[in-house]
Amino acid sequence: MASDVRVSVEALQENQVQEVSLDGQETYVQPLSMSENLAKLAHRIDFSQEDSDGEVQLEPGEEEEEEEEERKKQEAHWPWESIRDKLRTSLVETNVLLDVLKIAKDKKYMVLDPVSQEPQPSKPVLQYVAKKESLSGAADILQKGADRLAKSQAEFSSGSRGQGDFHRELLKLRQYWRLRRAGNNILGDLSFKSAGSHYWHSGVFEVVKTTEEGMAPGSSPLEVRIPSDLEGNAYIQVVIEDQLETIIAVKAALLPNSRREAAPGEPPWNVKLEAAQNVLFCKELFAQLAREAVQMKSTIPHLVVGNQITSQIFPGVQLSIALCHNTVEEDSKDDTTSPQRCQHNHVLEHALHQMLREVHRSNLNPAPPHPVTAPFSSSKKRRVAGPQGLDRKQCTQLQETEGLLERLEKQAKHTLLRARILDMIDKLAQEVNDPCLQAHVSSIGTSTESSVRIIITSPGYEQICKTMLHVNIGVEDVKVVSKDGKVITLSYDEHELRDLLLHQACQHQVNTVQSLSKMMGWQILHLSNHVGTGPVEKLGNASGIMMASPKGDRVISVRNSPSLGPLVSVQLTRQKGCETWRSDVIKDTKWDQVGGSFKPVQWDKAKGRNFVNKIELLMGCLT
Amino acid sequence: MGVTCVSQWPVPDGKSGQQAVEMLQRRLEATGATKAGSFCVDCETYMSGQSITPSKTAHVMHSTGHPLTCFAIMDSGTCLVADSNFDQLMTKLKGFYAPRKGAKIEVKGPRYEYVDFIVKIGTVTTGPTASSRGILVEVEYTPCVVPNDCWSLLTEFMGTFMGDNKPAIPQVLASKQDGIYSPTDTILQYLEHFNNYRKSTGNK
Repeated sequence: MASDVRVSVEALQENQVQEVSLDGQETYVQPLSMSENLAKLAHRIDFSQEDSDGEVQLEPGEEEEEEEEERKKQEAHWPWESIRDKLRTSLVETNVLLDVLKIAKDKKYMVLDPVSQEPQPSKPVLQYVAKKESLSGAADILQKGADRLAKSQAEFSSGSRGQGDFHRELLKLRQYWRLRRAGNNILGDLSFKSAGSHYWHSGVFEVVKTTEEGMAPGSSPLEVRIPSDLEGNAYIQVVIEDQLETIIAVKAALLPNSRREAAPGEPPWNVKLEAAQNVLFCKELFAQLAREAVQMKSTIPHLVVGNQITSQIFPGVQLSIALCHNTVEEDSKDDTTSPQRCQHNHVLEHALHQMLREVHRSNLNPAPPHPVTAPFSSSKKRRVAGPQGLDRKQCTQLQETEGLLERLEKQAKHTLLRARILDMIDKLAQEVNDPCLQAHVSSIGTSTESSVRIIITSPGYEQICKTMLHVNIGVEDVKVVSKDGKVITLSYDEHELRDLLLHQACQHQVNTVQSLSKMMGWQILHLSNHVGTGPVEKLGNASGIMMASPKGDRVISVRNSPSLGPLVSVQLTRQKGCETWRSDVIKDTKWDQVGGSFKPVQWDKAKGRNFVNKIELLMGCLT
Repeated sequence: MGVTCVSQWPVPDGKSGQQAVEMLQRRLEATGATKAGSFCVDCETYMSGQSITPSKTAHVMHSTGHPLTCFAIMDSGTCLVADSNFDQLMTKLKGFYAPRKGAKIEVKGPRYEYVDFIVKIGTVTTGPTASSRGILVEVEYTPCVVPNDCWSLLTEFMGTFMGDNKPAIPQVLASKQDGIYSPTDTILQYLEHFNNYRKSTGNK
């Protein structure tokens, strides 16, 4: 133990020699770190077996190889093989990751350290540009908002319209017109469909907000765009034309004449929409009339040319209905070119308007009641036709309905006939002074019937005798009802009535003389309204009366004819003093009473205010 | 609508029904009447089912003279005047009233107009074979609705073309007197004649 032998104990070279270079230097394999070691160990584990067996089993290498070969043989045809492999590898990786995470979580064996990366090279110029752009974008947004705010502030302070006003106007529009929203647009409806119209036109208008550039001061923030065919102003013109002259020009304009001015406080769009609606209404009316004109069968067919319907109502008299549609530009020009404009008749104008409205109404409201068992929209009369047992004739009458045109023609005929007859009566009353003709036109009547009461009197003798006639003016004929209930039907020719009135005037005078003679105590020898003697009259018959004085010695004979006027003759008996008539044979004084011949009276030289007065004076003379 | 008289026209011996009708037509045309279409009156008889006792009969009749109307007459004489939709109602009532087979009887023929008179000459046919049973003549005087007021006029007119075969006043008209004539009365007259034809065929 004395001599120490130095034994050096040296640890084995830990690291394996990887390579010995030619100069004898050894390069070592770097020892595995903990994680690498772990990974290496992990590689050895067969996870598939672990999964299947639930325990780690290390099979001998030979067996493994054999098994793998067998699998390859078996699974060569399996289509999902590649997918299975991939899934398996992914499962392995996931498991490894899980383990690593578990281990790292404990922080005993493994610590996760951030990996330092090389910083990216910074470009200061690019950054500047980017920042500038984003800043300017933000500034723009802010600026716009500020502008809008400032504008609304200014508008609010100045009281003018703006976004809020648009909505207020829209609300107002909504109160009067039907609006609906389609996408981003607001659409309105100015058709009469909701009122029962079946016209094809949709009548859609669009509501838009006035663009700020086009906003003139005083204009509405709301603008309506109507279809181009409804623009302007329209009316329906009904003219009754005689061959030579236009007697009556009637015009059915729903909004009369020129464009309607907006009432104070009324928004301009309302005027525009009303005008468009009027155009639509006129178009519908005209379309309806044109359709009826084509369908209607009459002896003289209706002419429908362009926008005019012509029909003949009386021989030589035409009724023409025209649709006048002016666009805004032509409107001012049209005012000067139609001189008949002042003559339009409110009655026909209104009637035409009303008739179409009635059609609309009846479309919408069929006659009540509405039993479920009855066919829909049948008329009241049709409904009771079965239970009341109407016969064939009545049933066919049920189906006949009068169209607008037919009714309008009737009204036009009546209007014309009435105008002609009243005109004739006026002229006749001026012509005939003796007797007096008074005409009272009744204010009560329908559009196809009116009446005139005609009273014939002799001035000063009204109490004695009065002839009254009632003239009913219809569509195509005139009925005259006399006081005794006799009805005389005359045609549409007003001369027939004129002749009748002249005849009645003649009769009236004779009748008055008759009454007068009764009062004066004269005796009526003969009275006839239709004298069969004398010259033939051009019209009617002459009427005559013969009356004797109370003593019976004088006779007055009156013959009054419409064409020749009165013819008065007087028969004087022989004068007592006149002895020439006495003879030896005729001695008795009673023969003095035998009348002599009639002597005509020079009537125009007779005294008196009028015919009856003259007769009275004559009677006075002769009594 | 006016007062109507329906009468039976006897077919003379040795003549067919068609010949008799033609003779009447000739006579009418000679008086100046004009032909104005044709007419048809039909009658369908319904029997009540077992649910109704005693059993009842209902006749449903249509006439071209009253195109929108359907008449239903019970045995008792009660007459219902209804809209033409009544037929559809009858099909719904199958359980209660079923049509009697082969009982359909109708009269068809030309229709003449002579001023205020309407004359209809019809051949009565029954059953599916449409065998002719006789001739019915209907004469209507349109302006009047009171039978008493126009009966004499009617008989006089009937005399012009029917000669001695003009009928006596029908029961329906006689009972009406000064009452107002209604379409039901015409239908009742037809039904009476139809029933007569049925009875006579039944006897045969």
